[in-house]
Amino acid sequence: MISVKHLSKVFPNSGQPLTVLRDVNCEISKGEVISIIGPSGTGKSTLLRCLNRLEEPTGGQIEIDGEDILARDADVNKLRRKMGMVFQNFNLFAHLTILDNITLCPRTLLGESPEAAKARAFELLQLVGLRDKAGSLPGELSGGQKQRAAIARCLAMNPEIILFDEPTSALDPTMVSEVLAVIRQLAAQGMTMAIVSHEMDFVRSISSRIFFMYDGVIYEEGTPEQIFEHPQRPATVTFINKIRTLDFNLADRNFDLYGMFGRIESFCKKYGLGDKMFLNLEHVAEEILMQIVPFTGPVSLTIDYSEKTYKITMTIVQATPKGQGGQAGTVDSILDKLPENFLPLTIVRGFCSSLSEPLPGQLRVEFDSEKR
Amino acid sequence: MKRTVHLLLLTLSFLAASCSAGQEPFLPSSVEELAGHTVAVPEGSTTDLFLSQYKNIDLMRIGLGEMAVAVKNGRAEFAMVQETQFDATRMQDKGFRKCFSGLLKGVAALGFRKEDTLLCARFNAFLQEFIDSGEHERWYRGWTTNPDSMAVAVRQNTAPPEGEALVVGITLAFPFIYLKDEELSGLEVDMMDRFCRQAGFKPEYCIIDFPAMIPALHTHKTDILLSHMQVTPERAKQILFSDPYFEGSICCYGRDPDAGSLSKRSLSQTVINSVRTNLIEENYWKILLGGLLVTLEISCFSILLSVLLGAIFCFFRMRRSSLVSGFTKVLAETVQGIPVLVVLMIMCYVVFARSDISGVLVAIFSFGLFYGAVFCELFRAGMLSVDRGQWEAGAALGLGKFQVFRLIAFPQALRQIVPVFKGDVVSLIKSTAIVGYVAVMDLTNASNVIRARTFDSFFPLILISIIYIILSRLIGSALNALERRVNMTKQQ
Repeated sequence: MISVKHLSKVFPNSGQPLTVLRDVNCEISKGEVISIIGPSGTGKSTLLRCLNRLEEPTGGQIEIDGEDILARDADVNKLRRKMGMVFQNFNLFAHLTILDNITLCPRTLLGESPEAAKARAFELLQLVGLRDKAGSLPGELSGGQKQRAAIARCLAMNPEIILFDEPTSALDPTMVSEVLAVIRQLAAQGMTMAIVSHEMDFVRSISSRIFFMYDGVIYEEGTPEQIFEHPQRPATVTFINKIRTLDFNLADRNFDLYGMFGRIESFCKKYGLGDKMFLNLEHVAEEILMQIVPFTGPVSLTIDYSEKTYKITMTIVQATPKGQGGQAGTVDSILDKLPENFLPLTIVRGFCSSLSEPLPGQLRVEFDSEKR
Repeated sequence: MKRTVHLLLLTLSFLAASCSAGQEPFLPSSVEELAGHTVAVPEGSTTDLFLSQYKNIDLMRIGLGEMAVAVKNGRAEFAMVQETQFDATRMQDKGFRKCFSGLLKGVAALGFRKEDTLLCARFNAFLQEFIDSGEHERWYRGWTTNPDSMAVAVRQNTAPPEGEALVVGITLAFPFIYLKDEELSGLEVDMMDRFCRQAGFKPEYCIIDFPAMIPALHTHKTDILLSHMQVTPERAKQILFSDPYFEGSICCYGRDPDAGSLSKRSLSQTVINSVRTNLIEENYWKILLGGLLVTLEISCFSILLSVLLGAIFCFFRMRRSSLVSGFTKVLAETVQGIPVLVVLMIMCYVVFARSDISGVLVAIFSFGLFYGAVFCELFRAGMLSVDRGQWEAGAALGLGKFQVFRLIAFPQALRQIVPVFKGDVVSLIKSTAIVGYVAVMDLTNASNVIRARTFDSFFPLILISIIYIILSRLIGSALNALERRVNMTKQQ
């Protein structure tokens, strides 16, 4: 139904242009429920808005039912009638009642009689559970009700596909479920939909396919199971496991140890890891950096915390030292060189749940958070 | 409403009565004795120039018509006036006393543009014949001793002159030029009519403020100045004077301390008397009505034009092209940065200086342009108050740009616009009161004409204030109805 090829979008910001979409390729078939997920600022909404040309793509091709919608003579208004859109901020027409919001376009654009449009509107309001709000103004409704009314307004144009642009992001947590229930119902009726959302559980249960967007491209796509259970690529893994990261780059052993402790402490506080975890991390970092890593070159230390699995991983990498004649030298294994009962090693083992060296010069220390 | 008016009248009459009471009678007999006193003079007149030499005289430069009023209510202690005028108006019977006379003896003549020598020569020839035939003396004595019967006689015995149009700039001053039964009459008008009848012209009289007289001639607003203008060397440098048609001198007058005080009458008597002298006598109410119609005409067309211009400016102002929107912005800001009175004068004496369109049209263009600039910003603010999401939602449903504007953005913008618009429209109506500057006889100017004749500033001013209040209220309630409609969103 929709086929996107090499789509790109650059915003001509004053100063430097901002590339939001680099090269997007995808296919959406009839009856599919596509969810588009990914970190903020990776072009999810822009992709959606390019599909109905609320944003003009900079390059590439979009075909809908074999028709090139970016062609100069394409009838954009007619195209948009086939594609409903639900906005993050609802965008109900503030001066019209809910009923008029729904009947306005069918009457003006589809030539429906006022009676027919009204009857259809009441049917749709019934569907979204707002029949008794027909005469209200948008300002009198709660956020969840507004969004349901916006969905009804969309449906009144009998669209072939509905684009949802973060439909629940602007809602109170208590109102999210009523909107999701309506979307779920539409999915059950076989409506083709493309949804940008941050509601991971919802996305996982409703989608037929998931696009994971990262850095202006569809970085990984697959069924919900593939994406959520077996993500293949690093950015997807980080996103799905909600990994939070803290990085240090140390040139030599004379680095600011107490500055590092301060940052670790605030990292722990930010994610609620507790004082004990902070002390553990601190002791392990100190022992490894002061006693174990040889500092034959710069060292990097990374702490990753997954808000999904609650695992904390500390990775210390001894960079390759500069070899003679400009050639990169090799890094020797760190642990192999040390005696088994080397005291600092014992101390480290005492604070963590596992210590390993997957690659020479790369130490991996794992902790279990008390949260579970 | 009635009660409000009554209360207002009551308050103001007390004020007027209290400030006109208790002054020491003092009658100077020479200019020197005026030192330290307030003296009213016509702005830009020869008297003004002459008295300016006396640094210790407190000069009050005002319009011709306002002087007697100023003396009457005590704002000025004395005023200077043409002696002919004082006598013919019978000012001594109206609570004034002549102090001394014979000042600045001089001659009055017509003013022409320097290049109009032919026209001037024709007038001089006519004047010579006029004097030689002895008509001139009869004419002068008639008008200065019994102007009213003279006016009636002239009107009955002669036909209005016909022929080529000739614009004559005048200032109203009894008995030279004044309104009698809504028609211009007087010594100078009679002479001009006689000349025109003989030379085959049709005079179009155009009332102009005295200081604006010479500029109006230079910008071709008028062809002749007829304003008992005294011949002076300074003026002769700028314009061409005809031969003189009468001699005159200036007299000084003040309030007559023996005159009976009006404030002793009861309120109702005062009001009835004011209505009689200011409205019914000489059919002054017809002048007021005419003025009201002109004010309405200017207001209505200015509102229409300014809304239209505002919409057009706004359209260009909201263009993406920075050139078009920048140009409109600069234009709107420039116009708004100039006082509306100055805009009016520029329109009259610069932009339309060479064309002979009427003052009413000039006023409509000026107010249309000025308030067009005001409305441009207002409309723009209204349109910007509509959330971008509303446009996007309309577009996403498949509405065209104009449809989104008509069905969604405009009704929402209107809600923001109408309350402010209401105030602006009322202020537009009120600001039309300045059109007198370009010789338009509107409501305010009509009251000036009446004041110049009746020496009563109180009643005409209060009356037109009330008329302006009623006008504003009527327009206000009409716009209130519009506002209610705009806010009535449930349209089942």
